[in-house]
Amino acid sequence: MRRRELAIAGVLTAVGAATLATWGRTERRAGEIDLWFSYGGNNRKVLLELVDAFHRRQSEVRVRPIFQGDYFEGLVKLRTGLFVGSVPTITHVVGEVVPYLFEAGVLELLDGIGRDTLDDLLPELSQAGTFSGGAERPLVALPFNRSTPIAFYNRPLFDRLGLTPPRTWEEMREVARAATERSANAVSRWGFSCPLDWWFWIALVGQAGGQVVEPDGRISLGGEAGARALGHWQAMVHDDRSMKPPPGRDYNAWEATNADFLAERVAMIWTSTAFLRYLEDNAKFAVGAAPLPRLERFSVPTGGTFFVMPRGLAEPERRAGLAFLRWMMEPAQANAWATRTGYMTVSKKGREALDKSGYFAEHPNDRVTVDQLAHAAAWPWEPELFRVQREAVQPRLEQAVLERRDPRRALDEALATLGAP
Amino acid sequence: MTLTPARSWHPYALLLPTALVLGLFFVVPLGLAAYQSLFSWDLLTEPRWVGGGNYGALWRSGELVAIAGRTLAYSAVVVSISLILGLALALALNREGRFYAIVRGAIFSAYVVSWVSVGLLWLWILDGEAGVVSRVLRASGLPTRAWLSDPNVALYSLAGVTVWKITGYAMVIFLAGLQDIPKSVLEAAALDGATPRKRFVHVVWPLLRPTVAFVGTTSLILSFQAFDIVRVMTQGGPVRSTTIFVYAIYEQVFINLRVGRASALVVAFFVLLVGLTLLQLWAWRRAGRARVAT
Repeated sequence: MRRRELAIAGVLTAVGAATLATWGRTERRAGEIDLWFSYGGNNRKVLLELVDAFHRRQSEVRVRPIFQGDYFEGLVKLRTGLFVGSVPTITHVVGEVVPYLFEAGVLELLDGIGRDTLDDLLPELSQAGTFSGGAERPLVALPFNRSTPIAFYNRPLFDRLGLTPPRTWEEMREVARAATERSANAVSRWGFSCPLDWWFWIALVGQAGGQVVEPDGRISLGGEAGARALGHWQAMVHDDRSMKPPPGRDYNAWEATNADFLAERVAMIWTSTAFLRYLEDNAKFAVGAAPLPRLERFSVPTGGTFFVMPRGLAEPERRAGLAFLRWMMEPAQANAWATRTGYMTVSKKGREALDKSGYFAEHPNDRVTVDQLAHAAAWPWEPELFRVQREAVQPRLEQAVLERRDPRRALDEALATLGAP
Repeated sequence: MTLTPARSWHPYALLLPTALVLGLFFVVPLGLAAYQSLFSWDLLTEPRWVGGGNYGALWRSGELVAIAGRTLAYSAVVVSISLILGLALALALNREGRFYAIVRGAIFSAYVVSWVSVGLLWLWILDGEAGVVSRVLRASGLPTRAWLSDPNVALYSLAGVTVWKITGYAMVIFLAGLQDIPKSVLEAAALDGATPRKRFVHVVWPLLRPTVAFVGTTSLILSFQAFDIVRVMTQGGPVRSTTIFVYAIYEQVFINLRVGRASALVVAFFVLLVGLTLLQLWAWRRAGRARVAT
């Protein structure tokens, strides 16, 4: 009797273990691919419509789009998926993490996308131009939703106050002060708001003439330029009291910034070009776009994400994934995505077509996003870049600005964390 | 009468399922965390042995002490205020009638709402400029604060929201405790001339002690597990002022890609909880001995 019970227990245990072991495996039928994406709202709608259009165009490849939260939540899930061996065919990741994932050996080479597609990609938005030496590296990332930071302002308010978008840091402070409105002891309208986020700090560092990683590979966080960038924010928050640091972290702060702008609690914001259409469609006033100002020079980082494919996919699945990416990067789809969202088209032919059709003349804000690309700064190909962003710099920006800590000291502390295990 | 097992192994067999579950879901993960805390690892590349390096980094940066301090401060506010409010509400609403039933239901309803919904609701209420709280204070001519953006206030704002959510639970348990006290005891005290205050101090409170201990313990556990409210409302900010233990662990492993550092925090959190449990046991035994002596 006992022997029989033990045998049953053994069988149950084995079945349970087998179930657990296969729990995370993704079952995909032939020709079916998974696309993990991180777009919400209108961008999500546009993506899903593009996927539907792809399905109408052909019948061999079926794409299963699966929402994975914001960029960072999506990355968490990708990493966990890589660890347990349950990965999508395609996903998209922020540029800063591409070198890290490549060096970890988890990305598929994408050369199979084809020469025609590669030749049509705008270099400043593709791997070749986004990263220093990106052209010499194996191709592991394909651009799609690419953006830069940009200034949006309340056009009628600026007209009423006789203000023009600032072209220098000094003008930025003057404009923000002039647009700030105080009643009693409270601010009823802030002149400027911007998430205290790494991406915008990088823009300021570049404008101050610095770079986070020096040409010799040393991580410097911009040196003096990094400190000047922090000092600029500190002056606007504490001395001028014209800048509202939005509450929340990461994309919560971005959403708060947009919400304040739309509610006319803020006259001018820095955010991503990705929100261009959203802000234009939802503002009760005319939205103006302007390039970011300069200190030593004009400079903006590129942002948004790249499509990547995890390594180790079966060959038919890899080919199906590449077929979808190839189609998405064709001028028509690249333009459909760009004109309906605010991200920039990644196709040279696509941009030419928009130019010829008079699109940019009709949409001057879109023209600003494209023109500003002339000042796009390349990211270093640094596997530690993501850690520099998420662990060293990002958590300290808010503290340095809100508590007005010595900028140099704050950045030195950030640098010191990089050597820790 | 003493019960003796028919076979000597029977007690162990009965304990086995519990031991297996505890072992599989508690002891083994904790052991794994302790082991992983000795490595630098990001899930993707090869783990690198660092010994006590993760603990050293947490200690030197001051993070460990800061996180423990914030967690204890948050728990102290949540447990003490929800206990006091829950007891006060239970005493006030321990009456028959439809009105009291509606009020009790309204207060308890907050407890059954999901944390995410509560977080989103209070994000709106506590907005420094457009929120209801700030508007009411401004309209009354009172000073207001950036409830979620001020590093000196944000943790207590979160604690306040938690109190709002769980006080209904404390109230219901206290109501059950109060209704468990025999009416004859209270009537006897009243006949002996005890005032309401004396009846509470000398009759109700001593009989309610086990309930207080239960509510205190469950509230403490709940406050130490806080994560959703932080994730939804502040994401650990501003300036890390709401980064309490569970959120810090999440942040290390999922945002900073540091499995080893997160595991070190898990071990530190475990040590803190064991310390608090021992302290609580000591206090209970001391109180028990004092009662026996009197």
